[in-house]
Amino acid sequence: MLERLKSKSLYPIVFLTVVVLISVSLLLYINSFTSSVVEAQNRIKIKTVLESIFPDLTEFKEEEDLFIIYQGDDIIGYTFLASGNGYSGVIDMLVGINIDYTIKDVAILSQTETPGLGSRITEKAFTNQFMGLGVDDINLSKDGGSIDAITGATISSRAVTDTIRTSMAEIIEKLSER
Amino acid sequence: MGQERNKSEYGVRQNAGAVFWKELVKGLVISNPVFILTLGLCPVLAVTSSIDNALGMGAGVIFVLLCSNIIISAIRKAIPALVRIPVFIVIIATFVTILSLVFEAYLPPLHESLGIYLSLIVVNCIILGRAEVFASKNNVLYSIADALGIGLGFTIALIMISLFREVLGTGGLTVFGSNLFNIPVLSEHPMTFFISPPGAFLVIGLLMALFRWIGVIKGD
Repeated sequence: MLERLKSKSLYPIVFLTVVVLISVSLLLYINSFTSSVVEAQNRIKIKTVLESIFPDLTEFKEEEDLFIIYQGDDIIGYTFLASGNGYSGVIDMLVGINIDYTIKDVAILSQTETPGLGSRITEKAFTNQFMGLGVDDINLSKDGGSIDAITGATISSRAVTDTIRTSMAEIIEKLSER
Repeated sequence: MGQERNKSEYGVRQNAGAVFWKELVKGLVISNPVFILTLGLCPVLAVTSSIDNALGMGAGVIFVLLCSNIIISAIRKAIPALVRIPVFIVIIATFVTILSLVFEAYLPPLHESLGIYLSLIVVNCIILGRAEVFASKNNVLYSIADALGIGLGFTIALIMISLFREVLGTGGLTVFGSNLFNIPVLSEHPMTFFISPPGAFLVIGLLMALFRWIGVIKGD
């Protein structure tokens, strides 16, 4: 009976379709209970990074593309995600600003820059330079600002600097309109 | 007449057990997927820089190989020859995705350090190769043996390579967070050459020579 079935010209199409349908159903089932675990983990990860930027935070609220940082009932700052193209791939970062719109701290979330050169944008020595700066000062010293680029990694350094500056300008504008 | 039937039944059962064992053991040395069959070398290079990654990858490949071999062997008579490769790939990709989802939820640090190489298990030649060469032509029991043997052989290869690379390249051995030992002079000035890809090639090449030498001695 199987041989007769297999000789039908439609059989390969039907077989492959059935295999794919079963696979997809299995994956949907597994995903249904793993996705909630992954989401909970991401929330903890974000919380940990926000706490490293604002050690005094008691709670935070998420609004569209912004995190509002509270200490008790007072807003002590804001944090936003910024992404930009680095030397070899996208650099994701979390930028925290004070209520006077100066930078509190910068945390690099993910990057795929050259190890030992561009990857050094994650070092405190580089990111600490952004602390306290207003949006107009955020430029590499080569471009007239106060950020010293990492030796041998100008493109990565510039990518981080420019991304922070443009995202920060956008966020400040949005905040002023509230 | 009853006795003779019993004899042949016993003979068949014993034969199956011996064949099972033979199929399993062949994957360990004589047909070691990394050193003899030289399959799936790309993830081997990438993942053997630390023994944690090697163990994680080995466990993942054993899981996918076992599941895909079982399923493909079970439905082998129904698979139309025309679409057999797409069918294999869909089945393998499903299990790799399940592995990736489970790692992401319950073993996040391993998921992060294996990164893209976890998803690349789908195109690992070992798994597709065993599906095409063995599972699609043998019954489920022997396919299980083949998967276990090849999977364990792969894992043993990964462990051997990563032992050399991690000990020589970082001066110590750290398994899942607990530091096992640190070699005194080497840990201050490790031979980082072995962490880099050329170092990996060197270690794999030398171990390959060793395995083939063993094969020659055994008279294969």
